[in-house]
Amino acid sequence: MILAFLGSGALLAGLVMAVFSVLLSFWAGWSENRVMIQVGRRAFYATAAMILFASVLLETALLTHDFSLAYVTEHSDLSTPIALVAAAFYGGQEGSLLYWALILGLLGSASLLASAKLGLRQAAYAAGTMAAILSFFLVVLVLVASPFNLLQITPPDGLGLNPVLRDGGMLIHPPVVLAGFASFAIPFSFAAAALLAGRSDAAWIAHTRRFALVAWGLQSTGLVLGMWWAYHVLGWGGYWGWDPVENVALMPWLATTAYLHSSQVQERRGRLRGWNFGLVILAFLLVVFGTFIVRSGIVPSVHTFAVSAIGPWFLGFLGACLLFSVGLLALRAGGLKSHGEPAPAVSREGAFALQNVLLIGVVAVVMWGTILPLVSGMVGQERVVGAGYYEKAAGPLFAAILALMAAGPLVPWRRAGGPLWRSLRWPAAAFLIVLGVLFAAGVRSVPPLIGIPLAVAVASTVLYEYVRGAGRWRNAGGGRRRAVGLLARRRRRYGAYLAHLGLAVVVLGLAASHFWQQEKDVTLAPGQQVSVAGYTLTYAGSESRELADHTELVAAMKLGSQTLEPARATYAGLGGQSLTHVAISSSPIADVYVVLAGTNGDGSASFRVFVNPLVSWIWAGGAIIILGVVLGNAGALRSAAEPVGVRVPSPVGAS
Amino acid sequence: MIRWGVVMTVVAACVGYLVYSASGGSAEYYLTVSELRAQQPASGVVRVAGVVQPDVQRTDGGLHVRFTEKDTTSSVMVDYTGALPDIFRPGITVVAEGRLGPDGVFHASTLLAKCPSRFSTSTYTQ
Repeated sequence: MILAFLGSGALLAGLVMAVFSVLLSFWAGWSENRVMIQVGRRAFYATAAMILFASVLLETALLTHDFSLAYVTEHSDLSTPIALVAAAFYGGQEGSLLYWALILGLLGSASLLASAKLGLRQAAYAAGTMAAILSFFLVVLVLVASPFNLLQITPPDGLGLNPVLRDGGMLIHPPVVLAGFASFAIPFSFAAAALLAGRSDAAWIAHTRRFALVAWGLQSTGLVLGMWWAYHVLGWGGYWGWDPVENVALMPWLATTAYLHSSQVQERRGRLRGWNFGLVILAFLLVVFGTFIVRSGIVPSVHTFAVSAIGPWFLGFLGACLLFSVGLLALRAGGLKSHGEPAPAVSREGAFALQNVLLIGVVAVVMWGTILPLVSGMVGQERVVGAGYYEKAAGPLFAAILALMAAGPLVPWRRAGGPLWRSLRWPAAAFLIVLGVLFAAGVRSVPPLIGIPLAVAVASTVLYEYVRGAGRWRNAGGGRRRAVGLLARRRRRYGAYLAHLGLAVVVLGLAASHFWQQEKDVTLAPGQQVSVAGYTLTYAGSESRELADHTELVAAMKLGSQTLEPARATYAGLGGQSLTHVAISSSPIADVYVVLAGTNGDGSASFRVFVNPLVSWIWAGGAIIILGVVLGNAGALRSAAEPVGVRVPSPVGAS
Repeated sequence: MIRWGVVMTVVAACVGYLVYSASGGSAEYYLTVSELRAQQPASGVVRVAGVVQPDVQRTDGGLHVRFTEKDTTSSVMVDYTGALPDIFRPGITVVAEGRLGPDGVFHASTLLAKCPSRFSTSTYTQ
């Protein structure tokens, strides 16, 4: 009880502090009042501290089963394992908003602590913008969706967690995705601050580079974890369904991917200034748009979220952000002309520019598919598109992006000095060899014949770069210290290539499991066998197990020396809701994925069996991408503006 | 040098073409049961959203199912073969993708259940 009052009080105090920080930061920044800027910034830290306090209180309420709070009652119960009770913090609508505000407060404070080099005005405007975003969340938390609302009568037990969500994935996927969403606000705030202060130099890019990478890295991790969770839990044999909820997580990731490349063009060549502002703003707007879509239930989705009052609030916030951003860009349009020399078409900056436009093209495709029900519903009968649309429309764009990934790193900045084909011979050879092998193996379908050789070409480009790096190290006399030095000095570049390699591995996994998945529905009596794609499974029998709150029907399927145990759990307490436990035998070559559909009176059982080639490559590739991000950016900050040599001796100057 | 505008225009045109050609073939109507009933005889693949009624008949170890899908006013019999979503049971909202046969039965090729909206059970006891 006292906890709820303290929590509501903390949120209210946080709101007051945040609004104070907005007003003071903008005013003091405008008048360049050093002391007041400092006060505005401290008000932001105080807001973050209040949010942290409220979060600790909510977590305490959950862990101590304080069912006087509506939120605790609705999202946990006494029988839920303690880790999942803790996870209920971000599990519900109100808690997830608080979690979002918490991440923004903490990351925002970190970004402000390090902002001394940016100049007074810009840092103050950034603090003001972040405080404004935080104010919005706090208004919603205080007025519309408070996690500290009390129940009139304290129930003896809570309602608990849906069994579908009683899974380890619940502990990792939602917090990573939400943290990723929240962190997009930081590059946005610094970009807006630079525009407000009338600065178009790359200082804001250098300052927020790590935060953009944190956002990108979190979102990449969140996307892969989401796929992994869906694959292991839901039992439909796939991992990506082009559902609106998935799409809105993908779009900011695509925009940020574009930004991570185009920002290099500005840092090194002074070009694409306006474009970079646009991309960062777009990524943030897509996050707000996505949150609105997800929380309002405005488009038909497999995931319906609790219908609540916060939909209109987010729509208003989206409108305000859109007006603010567009107005700001229009106001400063004149100062955003590129000062760098014009870039030739065949150059690294040309490749980045094309890649950027293609990525935004993919965003447009996904956006159209996501809002089609909305748009068509306004003019007539509501229409929806399925996976086929996204594959047909985005597939060719992704193929073009892969081709650029294979060629781009080998094209030098400014202009192609030497003959370009010489540096492109390795990826081209890899492409043709794999194409030939696939063709000889009898593959005639065009998408895998393009996608898989392209992914291998991307990997070969990365390996070629590493071999060249090793050659440079040997020429310099070798030795471990020099190798470490070389890697450390160019870690941004080698880390980025590692991420490229990881993406190539992901693409191979996606392509193989998508194009060559096999499935079979089968009903078997004990002792009978089924064969799918060369894997023979023998049904041994099934048994029923009584557990604390559910019964479990477990079937035994022999696969060689292994026994797979697909099961169905039935929860009597939840009106007989059943839950599939998929059995997966995973290997680097293929997963055998068995779902138990049910048993019949005569002792036979029905199964759906999938053989998914190379699925584990997706998870491995995701891990490589994250490794690349971490290795490429660990250690001390260094000046982002690495000077480019006037003469570029090799086709690859520096990254 | 890059003709920035030309590149943008070409890519935008390609994206436009891709979206147009892809959505032309695969955009499906999203209907409620009443709307499906109203436009009978409907042709082509559509998606129909409605609530599963208690008359669920499962055969073939649960791989084949027949049930009535209903919205506020109309109902339709749905026939579906395949693994069912976990949370499938009377009372939940499903989206069936398929076509309405001449027999008046909706033959679904895919059945999507709305995921749990929150981490509580209250939505399941309505």
